Amino acid sequence: MIGLALLLLLGGLGLVLIAEALLARYEVLVYAAGWRTPTISRPEGMSYARGADPDRPPDAYLVYLDGIGKRRFHDTRDGGRLVKALINRAPELRVLGQVQPYSPLAVPLADRPVWTWVRRRIGLLLFLHNVMQIFVAADRRYRPLYNRAVGAQIATELQVAGYRPDSGIPVVLLSYSGGAQVASGAVNELWAQLRTPLWLITLGGFHNGANDITHAQHLYQLTSAGDWIERVGTRIFPQRWRLFRWSGWNRADREGKITVHRLDPATHIGPRSYISPDARLPDGRSHLDRTTDTVLALIRDRLSLAADSDGPLP
Amino acid sequence: MSPIVAILLLVAGLSEAAGRLLPVVARLSGVSHVRVVGLLLAGALVDGAVFALWPLSAWAVAGLVLPTAPSDALVWTPGLAVPLVLAGVLAFPLLGPLLHLLLMVGVGAGLAGALAMVAGIDWWEAAGCVAIAGVGLGVSVEAVRRLVVKLNTRRAPEPVA
Repeated sequence: MIGLALLLLLGGLGLVLIAEALLARYEVLVYAAGWRTPTISRPEGMSYARGADPDRPPDAYLVYLDGIGKRRFHDTRDGGRLVKALINRAPELRVLGQVQPYSPLAVPLADRPVWTWVRRRIGLLLFLHNVMQIFVAADRRYRPLYNRAVGAQIATELQVAGYRPDSGIPVVLLSYSGGAQVASGAVNELWAQLRTPLWLITLGGFHNGANDITHAQHLYQLTSAGDWIERVGTRIFPQRWRLFRWSGWNRADREGKITVHRLDPATHIGPRSYISPDARLPDGRSHLDRTTDTVLALIRDRLSLAADSDGPLP
Repeated sequence: MSPIVAILLLVAGLSEAAGRLLPVVARLSGVSHVRVVGLLLAGALVDGAVFALWPLSAWAVAGLVLPTAPSDALVWTPGLAVPLVLAGVLAFPLLGPLLHLLLMVGVGAGLAGALAMVAGIDWWEAAGCVAIAGVGLGVSVEAVRRLVVKLNTRRAPEPVA
């Protein structure tokens, strides 16, 4: 009896997976065909950027690309903690957290009638949908379109938030988990549209390593031995293996563009995650504090290096 | 060919065409819904026809390479053709091409068994004939697909600097 129930459950889950995998590329299709224009509309009262005073140029723009929990313009619970901590401690940055990494049309899942119905009944499907979007973004056939769509979305958000092309103000793409796939994919489009000095910071980055990040000045990989989800990404995607010397990731690595920073013993998710305000380190700081400190130290070091040199940084 | 097999092959063609739709549409920026449906139906007919030709081509290849040509022609049966309905699995992100290949290998293995029985030859010889026919048809239809896209392309995608 239990065996039959399990079989039915697995069968049902299998069918849902198949349906979701086949429908996942629908949004990219709509974008590619030009049937709908990506939206930049906001909920009432929501600002286009937070942090530094919009009346004067900030030291840098920071765009936060969240993990698979992102389904509305507003911050997720965990991602929101990190964004708030960054805004509180770095008044010199303008922070954008409303980018929809898993929607080429920039439409949050929570705003779609079908998904509202699904969320009330099978909330897990929203996560599954966003996971599938990561795989669509990683697929050789769909990747160029997906990258262009999300890159254009970020470029538009930045310009609406006051960024001017060729201004030379750095843009930092801070990505968590699957957001790394989207962040690395957005590099070329951002460069094409804004010619911005671009820095990437991945936090437990889950990505396939195929994207060309030539136009990014540097990528900081924040990781931990306790992060098995990031480790899965390094193993299941061949472009992350040393063997694939000419993948975007390995080329960037050979050019010295990737620096690893360890945040042991943090985990990817859960009560001991990178963004946990409760898990404590021996020095008394929470994991969230340390992650925030690390991100801000990297940005400020980079800014001071940029101030000291006229040319592009290594 | 029985009506049920004809319907199955048409559905399989539609499934295959749907699986290949996005890369085609991506090259036709600004294409209308009607045109996409038209391309999808045309693709369904072409892919369905290619599936229909597979056993005939394998049988013809067997006739060329074997000393005595097989007397009975190799034809689809509903049992052999029904897995082709899943050809749309090609659309799966990342795993699609691999799953599609596995599906074709599975269907090809079924055809090889049927050909071995009809022609009275070794299974591996039959599998070789089925593989040659399948690859030949696959390459031909891909060439046609690229030609159709080229003829339909109004504007190349903007290059990314």
